[in-house]
Amino acid sequence: MTFPGAPVRPAPRRYWRTRQGLVLVAPLGFFLAVYLYPLTRLLGWSFFSPGFTLEHYAKLFREPAYLQAFRNTAEISIWVTGLSLVLGYPLAYLMTVVSRRVRTLLIVLVLVPFWTSVLVRTFAWMVILGKRGIINQVLVGWGVIDRPLALIYNMLGVQIGMVHVLLPFMVFPLLSVMARIDTTLVAAARSLGASPRQAFIRIFLPLSLPGVSAGCVLVFLLAVGFYITPALLGGEGQVTFTTLIELVVRDLLDWNFGASLGVFLLTVVGTLFVLFSTLLGLDRLTGDSRA
Amino acid sequence: MIGGGASLGRSSLWTYCALTLVFLCAPILIVVVVSFNASEFIQFPPRAWSLRWYRNYFSAREWVEPTLLSLRIAFVTMVLSTVLGTAAAIGLTRGRFRGRRMLEFFFVSPMVVPTIVLAIGLYLLFARFKLVGNPLALYLAHTVVAAPLVIVIVSAALKTTDSAIELAARSLGAGYFRAMWYVTLPAILPAVISGAAFAFLVSFDEVVLAIFLGGPTTTTLPKRMWESVRYEIDPTLTAISTLLVIIPIVILGGVEIVRRSFAAVTATVSRPADGTQ
Repeated sequence: MTFPGAPVRPAPRRYWRTRQGLVLVAPLGFFLAVYLYPLTRLLGWSFFSPGFTLEHYAKLFREPAYLQAFRNTAEISIWVTGLSLVLGYPLAYLMTVVSRRVRTLLIVLVLVPFWTSVLVRTFAWMVILGKRGIINQVLVGWGVIDRPLALIYNMLGVQIGMVHVLLPFMVFPLLSVMARIDTTLVAAARSLGASPRQAFIRIFLPLSLPGVSAGCVLVFLLAVGFYITPALLGGEGQVTFTTLIELVVRDLLDWNFGASLGVFLLTVVGTLFVLFSTLLGLDRLTGDSRA
Repeated sequence: MIGGGASLGRSSLWTYCALTLVFLCAPILIVVVVSFNASEFIQFPPRAWSLRWYRNYFSAREWVEPTLLSLRIAFVTMVLSTVLGTAAAIGLTRGRFRGRRMLEFFFVSPMVVPTIVLAIGLYLLFARFKLVGNPLALYLAHTVVAAPLVIVIVSAALKTTDSAIELAARSLGAGYFRAMWYVTLPAILPAVISGAAFAFLVSFDEVVLAIFLGGPTTTTLPKRMWESVRYEIDPTLTAISTLLVIIPIVILGGVEIVRRSFAAVTATVSRPADGTQ
């Protein structure tokens, strides 16, 4: 990084630094105005109406229906995280043991759905699982059932739809960790007499745990703030925190309460995000998420 | 190498993963197939084939206008996010100042903030300036969620590019911006293009901000789809969905090909991340 002969000016490094800073002025200004400012305004709306009050937060804990939304979100997010791990771990593992060509193919098969819009994928599930959807058409047509099964507008539909969207967010962090595991360690364990199962459980699995926690936190984080799929595939029993926000601000027009719900959700997600990045490094989250 | 002796384990692993991949890909394939259905209702497999839902889509003003609007918003968002995101990435990776990590954190945080929270915050802001329903609101809002992607992608490229080449240019008399424009930017161009492509797609697909900030007048394609899908399943949606599946593949696949050929030419300055693509 040192560059002999470079210092032609009295303080080149400093000069260099100030110019670097200049580049940041425009993006920083933009993000302060259109991102940070609206979020702090939300904070204001949640605490003042017009004087300082905790009323809007108290409402959340007083009303059982609102608490239920909170519980629904937690339940759905835990399920989705668990299911994504159960489906994603073997898939990521398979990607690390196959040849480079097969691996690329497998990654493409995960990337194509990943690139497809969430709305389209959710709609696809409506076509498949709906009352007059493909599965019900087939089952009724074959005489397996008389009346169509309720596969969406319930917990099952939300879980299927959300796992479908969030699974890649589990696979990619897992893969990035697993790909860096030194496979000679596993080979060494095998040569010392460990069975394949033992070598996996005692060597590979512990080394892959950073990927497991990274994937789980990321999926959970995204699940908690997810709106589109619960709104389209959920029924009345699956009001989540995000769909509650929509209900409160659009139907009840209670912006103060909506703002407090938003701030609350943001606090939960923010805490998880900080936990995630200090625990595992920001690069894991950003480096593999979409690029 | 792992589980070399356990072929049963290997084949059950393959079966399990194949099912997972079917779960991931089948819904998309089914929608694509169904879009060529000739009947009034959704059938799978279709008994007769036609392009009627595509004709329906391209001939209906209620679909074409939102599409054109979405393309316009995505284009403006792409330009804004690419300029702001690339500038931020250069500042963050080349700058040496206190709080750099914090700032990096701040710039990528919109990727995890629940969009609905951002949407209501921006609604309150834009309502004050009477911007709800104005496309400008969506240019700005979409840039907030798209620019972080550009920052992440371009930063990754900058980290693998030797900053000494900039210093070399500077020592040879180039001004700061000249060095950036002629030396740094060409080296990271594939990443900038890739970031721009992602920014375009993020905006083109975005629903939540569009619902909240679009008002009654500014209806983007995803907003229009959202409104339709909530009430009835119109088979036209399957045709639109098919196009929305193909567009990212074409754009991102194309970018990837450009990036690869570029990487082959300048293998020394631009290195692909770690083979995840």
